Amino acid sequence: MNPTGTTVRLTDLHKRYRVGDGYADALKGVSLDVAAGEIVALTGPSGSGKSTLLNLCGLIDAPDRGTREIAGTAVDQLDEIALTALRREKVGFIFQGFNLVPVMTVYDNVEYPLLLLGTPAVERKTQVMALLQRTGLEAFSQRLPDALSGGQRQRVAIARALVKSPALVIADEPTANLDSTTAQQIVDLLRELAHERAAAVVVATHDERMSSHCDRVLRLADGVML
Amino acid sequence: MKWILFAWKNVMRNRRRSLTAMLITAMGTAAVLIGGGFALFTYESLEEMTARDTGHIVLAHAQGFEGDEDMPMQHGLAGADQLAAEFAALPEVRAVAPRIQFSGLISNGDKSSVFVGSGVVPDIDFRLRGPQMNFVAGEAPGSNGPAPEVVIGNELAKLMKAKVGTSLTLLATTTEGSLNAVDVIVRGVVSVGVPEIDKRLVMADLADVQKLMLTDKVSTLSIYLRDTAQTDVIAARVKTEHAQLALRTWSDLAVFYQAVRALYNRIFGILGLIMVVIVAFAMSNTLGMAVVERTREIGTLRAIGTFPHEIVRNFVLEGVVIGSLGALIGMAMAGIATFALLFAGIDMPPPPGRSAGYPLLLSFSPVLYFGATIVVTLLAATSAWFVSRHAAAKPVTEALAHV
Repeated sequence: MNPTGTTVRLTDLHKRYRVGDGYADALKGVSLDVAAGEIVALTGPSGSGKSTLLNLCGLIDAPDRGTREIAGTAVDQLDEIALTALRREKVGFIFQGFNLVPVMTVYDNVEYPLLLLGTPAVERKTQVMALLQRTGLEAFSQRLPDALSGGQRQRVAIARALVKSPALVIADEPTANLDSTTAQQIVDLLRELAHERAAAVVVATHDERMSSHCDRVLRLADGVML
Repeated sequence: MKWILFAWKNVMRNRRRSLTAMLITAMGTAAVLIGGGFALFTYESLEEMTARDTGHIVLAHAQGFEGDEDMPMQHGLAGADQLAAEFAALPEVRAVAPRIQFSGLISNGDKSSVFVGSGVVPDIDFRLRGPQMNFVAGEAPGSNGPAPEVVIGNELAKLMKAKVGTSLTLLATTTEGSLNAVDVIVRGVVSVGVPEIDKRLVMADLADVQKLMLTDKVSTLSIYLRDTAQTDVIAARVKTEHAQLALRTWSDLAVFYQAVRALYNRIFGILGLIMVVIVAFAMSNTLGMAVVERTREIGTLRAIGTFPHEIVRNFVLEGVVIGSLGALIGMAMAGIATFALLFAGIDMPPPPGRSAGYPLLLSFSPVLYFGATIVVTLLAATSAWFVSRHAAAKPVTEALAHV
């Protein structure tokens, strides 16, 4: 791995949620830097703050305190529209439950981020087919997600996250619903593609097979980085 | 194009629900088009009926429409022949019919009754009135018979025990205020479909009536146009050129037409409003359920960079797909109904005060069909916008956590 610069810079993040009549501190002053092409695993028990940190890192939630810089942009003063535009261009997501659009074919699901970016049709097709070939999904391009296995669906999700060559990929338990062989394949695929495309990857995982293949493993407990 | 394809795929995601919304939309559209088609047919029929009866433009003496004559024909129109020739020369004019309105007593020797008569030029008037003047027996009066000839209403004929060839006597007031009488022969018995009129109707040759009333004036000049749509234009021109005359158009004189139009506009307006509410409710319900079911998907799409307005646009497109397809099906249903009624031979019962029914037919109006499609589609799009805007603006984390 050859990091070319810092893609994620999170500094002293605090996040508090309302729970019943009181509050729960999900993050208490967490800081994190991730370089381009680096894969960082966030581990820790449930409720440790992994998902909260992932959401803040992926720009789908806002901290109560602290600063964030993603792909060279200070994001804390940006409004929701600007954040959405930044996510559209710079951030890819991989969800535990795959979260593919069920009425779209494999091809359409992978193509969707490029449609949002207004990529010309010919270029879209080239990029999508190249990635489907790379992920071994070429033969399934016209199938709907329901007709695929769990591993195949997660490959589609990875292809969708990486098709636009984002600066940052957020992956939430990407191997949680997969058997060990498939999980291993997914880990390898994600690692290869992320390195090829110099994408910083932040993965929340309980899975040691996943974390053992990451460049760095960070442990969270009670909202604090250990 | 891709977005429309996605919209179609999402519509097909829950086929039964989408089909139900589509059918409700179709039924609503068809109901509006059938109701509107019936109203339009009624308006067109009444418009034609009125125009055939009064003419498109009616000219009279300056005070001719005020109905305050002390003596018959006090406000009669002089020089009618010259005016009629002038108007008949206009290319837009089909015919000009001079008329005298008069009244008096009609007698068969044994008994008498009040009549309300018209002096007309038979060759012009009976041709122009067409099917509206239904001859029960006989034919239009001629001008060369041994005695003046008349056409009378069928109810009056019953009252007078008269049939074709029967001799009757008309008694009327002259322009000088004296009484005058003339023996006439019944040449025809007609029905105009209104019993109250058929009980009093007498139509005679204009020259005979002028002779009876000792006048060379006429009550009105009715101008029949080739195209009803030109009424206002020609009326304005005539008014400018003959400012000394009083002028009414067929719509000014069509009290029944105006009343029916006002009533139907209200009835079908309310029907349209009810349909709008039903369609809006069906669309909101269908798309509202889709929005709730797809909240997590909305969160996913938002996370990967879809703007809220793009999420709303996708639902609006789904609404447009359902609405426009529903409208197309509704148009087809209404079109089939319009076509089928041409051959079904179904008659409506006579309206109040009338003795004859009329065929149940629907007018086909491209403007109405186009307008209904636009309204239904816009309604569907608006409903979709309304139900999706909150979900699209929901925080991404909240949408992703939706179960």
